[in-house]
Amino acid sequence: MKIILPIILVVGTGGLMVLALLSGGNARGTVGVAGGSAVFTPSATNPQLALHNLLIDVQRRHWDHAYDALSKTSKADKEDFIQDCTGSNGSLRSFSSLEGFDPRPLHITDDQADMRVALHWSTPVGPIEDVRDIHLVREGDVWRAVWPEYKVPMVPAEVIPVTYLRWDLVTGTADDQWGSKNVDAPRVRIISMNAVNTAEGTIVMGEVVNEDTIPAFVNVNATLVDGAGSIIDEETSFDKIDHILLPKQVSPYRIDFPNVDLNKVKNVRMDVKAALVPASADPVIGVMDQKIDTDAQGKSVLQGDLLNESGQTVNISHVIASFYDNSGKVVWVSDGYVDRALLPQSSEPFAVEIPKSVSQKVQNFHVVVNQFSLARS
Amino acid sequence: MSTEKNYARPIPLIAVVLVALAVHGPLLLMQLPSRSFDANFHMFFASHYAHHWFNPWNEKWFAGFSQTTYPPLTHQWIALFSTVIGLKMGYMLVQLIAILLLPVGVFRFARIWVDDRAASYAALGSVFIGALSFLAYQAGQLATIASAALYLNALPYFYEWIAESRKLALLKGVVISLTAAAAHHVTLIFGVVFFAVPVLWTACLDARRRLVAGSLGGVIARTAAFAVAVGVGVGIVLLPYWLALIQHPIQQMPIPHDSRANYLLNSTIAVNYFVIPYGALILALPFILIRGSSSRRLIPLLCGFWLAFIFGLGGTTPLPRWLLGRAYEVLTFERFAFWATLLAMPLVGLLAVQLLDRFQTRAAIGLSLAAVGTIGAALWWLNANPYRPGGSADVEPVIAFLNRDGHDSYRYLTLGFGSELARVSTYTSASTVDGDYNSARLLPEMTHYGSAQLTNAKFYGSAGMASLRAMLEHANRYGLKFIFVHDPYYEPLLTFVGWRKIETFDNGEITAWSKEDVPPAHQISSDAVPPAWQGLMWGILPIGVSFLAIFLELLLLDRRRVPVEVSVPFHEQDPQEHYVA
Repeated sequence: MKIILPIILVVGTGGLMVLALLSGGNARGTVGVAGGSAVFTPSATNPQLALHNLLIDVQRRHWDHAYDALSKTSKADKEDFIQDCTGSNGSLRSFSSLEGFDPRPLHITDDQADMRVALHWSTPVGPIEDVRDIHLVREGDVWRAVWPEYKVPMVPAEVIPVTYLRWDLVTGTADDQWGSKNVDAPRVRIISMNAVNTAEGTIVMGEVVNEDTIPAFVNVNATLVDGAGSIIDEETSFDKIDHILLPKQVSPYRIDFPNVDLNKVKNVRMDVKAALVPASADPVIGVMDQKIDTDAQGKSVLQGDLLNESGQTVNISHVIASFYDNSGKVVWVSDGYVDRALLPQSSEPFAVEIPKSVSQKVQNFHVVVNQFSLARS
Repeated sequence: MSTEKNYARPIPLIAVVLVALAVHGPLLLMQLPSRSFDANFHMFFASHYAHHWFNPWNEKWFAGFSQTTYPPLTHQWIALFSTVIGLKMGYMLVQLIAILLLPVGVFRFARIWVDDRAASYAALGSVFIGALSFLAYQAGQLATIASAALYLNALPYFYEWIAESRKLALLKGVVISLTAAAAHHVTLIFGVVFFAVPVLWTACLDARRRLVAGSLGGVIARTAAFAVAVGVGVGIVLLPYWLALIQHPIQQMPIPHDSRANYLLNSTIAVNYFVIPYGALILALPFILIRGSSSRRLIPLLCGFWLAFIFGLGGTTPLPRWLLGRAYEVLTFERFAFWATLLAMPLVGLLAVQLLDRFQTRAAIGLSLAAVGTIGAALWWLNANPYRPGGSADVEPVIAFLNRDGHDSYRYLTLGFGSELARVSTYTSASTVDGDYNSARLLPEMTHYGSAQLTNAKFYGSAGMASLRAMLEHANRYGLKFIFVHDPYYEPLLTFVGWRKIETFDNGEITAWSKEDVPPAHQISSDAVPPAWQGLMWGILPIGVSFLAIFLELLLLDRRRVPVEVSVPFHEQDPQEHYVA
């Protein structure tokens, strides 16, 4: 027993540790905190392992290790590689953490491989998936990723005249909060509403207009009522609306009711709340080259470019699009965030998804862009 | 007196307690634990008891929750002390009492297996355990420490009762066990496996070898009697807790915790949950294994240690997941490392005896350096580790804002406040939809996602942000009008969902955000509100058993028990197996 028991305990502990490693042990640390290095990292003897090791290093923000694992034929230098992964200029990517990834091979030979990887980012506005194709080469016994060139756009200094409209709110007392309560609320009206049943539940969508001559903070609420007059659920437009509407501006809205069957709904009560707020037309973001197309994964998308026409950086852009059928009815509202910052006078591509069942009905669309700027927050 | 003779005597227990006081007293006077993860949580609970002793329904978190979901003893003691010395010093005092009880418990527990001298070294070593400092100053697990200390004090009575049939030991053992359960039930439940089973196993061995008065059958029968008494007692003392658990079993989505990770795959987690808690004990592991296997009486202790050690490794081995099933996703595993170090202490005491006998002053210096290095590393790690509790902002303006102009008629949320959330909650009359105690959450916006506090949402990735989005979507439902942000990470979301910045505090460190059209908060109906009789039970029984335990200890003194087996220096017992640890 004196000899056997220690041996059993040591071997048993070691065996259990190996078992945990072989069964894909959890290496995750807290999201957003640089994790420690692994005591055990398998050698990149195949493309899958090489990509896995690289993305684990990216996840843990071990940039030295990650960059050393790239092929020397990579066109990105270390700073560009880091900025490609972490974002720059206060963009959405710079707030994001790589939460997970799903790689799959596209094409593999003895010394070359192409992998497609879906990168799952955790961001302040919700999860975002980014699909990238990565080329890998075999160098000796190990495989290495060839990171493509990435250049952070450099915007030269120039003077941009500010000629946009701006509304300030002058309050009588310092106690007033941001929405003014001692003046009439702006006139805001829902100009269309459509409720549809989907696999995820009921969706209420449409458009709202600010008919007044002053800017309005707008929120649209919907209440579903059943045949007996009981309330089934109440929800709001949340981030699927441009909350600040300038005079005469129209915004799409969409309200989701997860797990509610539209067939059980007898009535939909709509309620639009508006308050007077200070606002500015600046920065103006132009939507260019919009078209409905199919992406690399075969999904139907509305894509185009956002052009920042102002002189200030727009850190995060939010695209909300309403889609109309041939009778002008709103048949879908879709939204998406752009994970790169919009620098002054520069453009970035965007894409929002349209369900296959809807895309055939779409005859027209309208895009509005909401924005977040660190300088103005 | 020669140096050799100096080291040949046990250290008086009072001296060990004074060392504990000298080491931890100043740290607690400096209020070092006040920035730990859970200290504000404990003070928040205590504050409620201070104001509503017999009403465990607390409206300030989760739009209302029952404090019967957490054993109340340590919180009630803080509440009692707070009336004299304030909440924070009340916490420090209860923590100090728990820390002072620990070496006493370790000494008495160790004497089941080793002589007074080794037991005194074990007790002295327990003052410097890295895991103790980790739990006290980084994690703030007051209840775990208090319960473990009490349980270690109860177990020698358990041994005396089952081995020697002493009725006073039965009485004291049961009452102190109930007190331990009233401090932290989880410690008692797992303590049965890790601590009580080795004691029972040892008593059975002693009975078979006729080293004690009782027979083997008697040991088993008295164990059953003790178990029934403790089981029934815990059932009654914590009845409101069990009823709350039965009514709302923990069915929420598992919340990730780093202590469940594979330490081999992440060195920072390994340092946090293995190197720091064990410290210099890592060097003693070979000795613990070999010495623990060398005697039949020590094998139960070794097995208890090994099991707790494996559990303390979290996801580094699959054993905890296999054995615990669903509970694996609910528990955190740093406490198992603490229990493992406590179980190792009697064997470490033996190691100290051997080293001192052999190397005298050099060994004393080495052991002292190892002990000081271990606690020093744990204290250094408080500021060095990337998981250190955040929240250095001044939250007083937030508290003042909520307490003025009727702002407390709405609910609020903090983002990026970490454990400071509980501090805000303690001192404001407003209530929040968030809270710092996972097991009490019933709101679907929180239980349906694998995330803990909303204030820390970003650290739980997409699940955390989804939970936060769900809560913000239902802001009107809960009367949630004010959000205080101490991390610009959350500002884009708030901007896009229609919240606007209205004020800044602490030179812009904290910003206040508000939303129009939110109606004042109303009471959220819940079936978890405990009836009045449960409030009475909760206010009387747990604190009552602790008073009873104190009176029994002070009024009914023990006759000193002679240890069953006085350990023989290793080189005399097994001269053929010399080694140096």
